[in-house]
Amino acid sequence: MSAEVAGGKSQSRWKLSLDTWAVLVAFLLALLVRTGVFKHIPW
Amino acid sequence: MADVITVPQVQPVQPALRFLRVIPGVLLLAAVGYAGKLLEQNVGAYAKAHHWTFPNIEYVLWAIVLGLAISNTVGIPELFRSGVATYEFWLKAGIVLLGSRFLLGDILKLGGVSLVLVAIEIAGSLAFMTLLGRLFQLKPKLTTLLAVGSAVCGVSAIIATKGAIEADDEDSSFSIAAILALGALALFTFPVIGHALHLSDRAYGLWAGLGVDNTAEATAAGALYSDAAGKLAVLVKSTRNAMIGFVVLAYAIYWASKGQARAVGNKAKFLWQKFPKFVLGFLLISVLATYHFFNKEQVGALANLSRWAFLLTFAGVGLRTNFGEMRKQGLRPFAVGAIGEVAIAGFTLALVYGASKIFGW
Repeated sequence: MSAEVAGGKSQSRWKLSLDTWAVLVAFLLALLVRTGVFKHIPW
Repeated sequence: MADVITVPQVQPVQPALRFLRVIPGVLLLAAVGYAGKLLEQNVGAYAKAHHWTFPNIEYVLWAIVLGLAISNTVGIPELFRSGVATYEFWLKAGIVLLGSRFLLGDILKLGGVSLVLVAIEIAGSLAFMTLLGRLFQLKPKLTTLLAVGSAVCGVSAIIATKGAIEADDEDSSFSIAAILALGALALFTFPVIGHALHLSDRAYGLWAGLGVDNTAEATAAGALYSDAAGKLAVLVKSTRNAMIGFVVLAYAIYWASKGQARAVGNKAKFLWQKFPKFVLGFLLISVLATYHFFNKEQVGALANLSRWAFLLTFAGVGLRTNFGEMRKQGLRPFAVGAIGEVAIAGFTLALVYGASKIFGW
């Protein structure tokens, strides 16, 4: 999907995909709910 | 080093700056989505108070229509574009959080049925779109992109396949435009057909998950029918998404055998790279919910977080759909896409109808 580019050290080794970021954020939110930081989320 | 492109050094965008750049667009998504929610609550009440006959229009449709109106009239200023593009991120986070509302047993039961239907849908759609592409004398790689886009999962599948088979940028733009335009049409036609045929929530959710290509549109088309149908549409669509790696790998091997794409080295690594990680997140949250890691109130809170994430997604679906831009991409690929989509919608409806008779839904 992404072309390999050489031209310096600008490419981060820790670059995560959008999917992975979405999973991490969702799990962080779930953890905050589980630990009681977010008690009630209105809708 | 011969096959590595050397480019001049570009100053990387600082993460903090990138974060700041998306804020205006995310606020726009939130404003449009919330306006949709307010319209749902207030328009119905106003109509009732004035004794008007007015259908109950869900926030999903309001948010999409408001987004479409903005995108196709005043347009989206540059300042908001990178933030509006985050709608895919909210979609995937919302799907992961939605996993808390599924018990693992339900996923295995429904996933098993949907897996069989998904396999039939993918095989039928790939074959039909390939035939159609040949009939309309489209370029072979353009046909591949349209086939993968309609059979598996819309834009993500097209982007993944483009890289693997080394297709032209123009071909992928054509395919993405066709898939997005047809997805937008599906949003308005699927619920109407579902109601006309008196489909149950389960049958409709299955159909939306199988027949609508892009994940955001499939989620919205399901939610427009009912909450239960929306949940099922997400589950079925995620099952389709999970197949992306296998289909892309098959096409990559095919085009490499013709000497028109790079050979795939490590196939397991290729499959892992293409596998949508949010599907794993969805399953993991569901496992946690099944084993009571979250109590009832916490599951309710997670479900509401998922709804808020979807609210931003639905606003984004409207805001990023610009019919003028799509028209510029040309008529022929769109015609192939349209004929294919109508056929696939009919085929998947027949599949769901058959399954509903067998399983008594």
